[in-house]
Amino acid sequence: MRIMHLGVIAALLSTPIWAADTEIEITPLPEGSVNSEDGLAAWDRIYQVTSHPRCSNCHVGASNVPMWSGPSYGGKPRPHGMNVNAGESRIGAEYVLCSTCHAYREVTGTRLPHAAPQVAADWRLAPVEAEWFGKSSDYICAQLRDPARNGDRSYLDVAAHLEHDVILHWAWDPGAKREPAPFSLQEHVNDILAWGAAGMPCATD
Amino acid sequence: MKLNVNGADHEVDVDPNMPLLWVLRDELGITGPKYGCGIAQCGACTVHIDGQAVRSCQVAIGDLQGDVTTIEGLGTPDALHAVQAAWVEHQVAQCGYCQSGQIMQAAAMLELNPEPTDADIDAVMSGNLCRCGTYPRIRAAVKTAAANLKGA
Repeated sequence: MRIMHLGVIAALLSTPIWAADTEIEITPLPEGSVNSEDGLAAWDRIYQVTSHPRCSNCHVGASNVPMWSGPSYGGKPRPHGMNVNAGESRIGAEYVLCSTCHAYREVTGTRLPHAAPQVAADWRLAPVEAEWFGKSSDYICAQLRDPARNGDRSYLDVAAHLEHDVILHWAWDPGAKREPAPFSLQEHVNDILAWGAAGMPCATD
Repeated sequence: MKLNVNGADHEVDVDPNMPLLWVLRDELGITGPKYGCGIAQCGACTVHIDGQAVRSCQVAIGDLQGDVTTIEGLGTPDALHAVQAAWVEHQVAQCGYCQSGQIMQAAAMLELNPEPTDADIDAVMSGNLCRCGTYPRIRAAVKTAAANLKGA
């Protein structure tokens, strides 16, 4: 397959995902102020978030195929309908752009059941190295503290990422009777900060 | 609110949450894009925004950025777009309701991928439903359009 208009695709990929629609407090804890037991407890809550369908459905691997799973979809997990493949671009540039249906919406987006969710950003998959769907707690824990697979982020950078990326905010406010990600965005950020202050422990340590 | 459709500027006085499809059909009388489902499940309302295929029922007019092209602006009866000409050649349409969306999606695909394989066509066109089941003819027409565009 030959792809034209690479400039257009590059422009789409470079579009920042940023909008300050949700106020989040990032209050770092002193390093070492959280013991590893509490750090692991924080990780367990973090894993409940990362393994939740609102997050993991778009944290898929090299298939580049988003998933439809969770209570809203009934039954067993299945691939996103319409034969969707987001391609290596992870935004669908090779086939149908995610934004063909997941339109940019400045305010709240459509709240219609079964409609394509919308946020004030270009809809997309997470990077392939951030594969979470179906992965174990140990696997995701190792991935999330590995700069080579977490976007070269410290845990403070991960917390800031949660503050800035409005697609992530959507996971806690998906509307249309979709089940939100567990806890709250603020509680999740607090858990990231506690896990980080404990030295990002994993159960395999 | 101002918008450009098929090269012409328009101004409409509507709720910014009104979907582009409603603006096109009810405010501007441009009825090529069809209402099928209203939730991006069928593709009948597909138009181009700055060349990208978009489900116009999902775009709030207040968030519209870019020039809109509908089937009326893709080609004319006297000067058909290659995809429209291929559609005629293969007699793709049965009832025809989904076809403007199909053609707009196919035209956008060929801009990005001038030599689509069967798998590429299936990946791109599967979001455009046809209850008459004209899919084999759609695939054949896309290939004819691709070949004609390549030779053009």
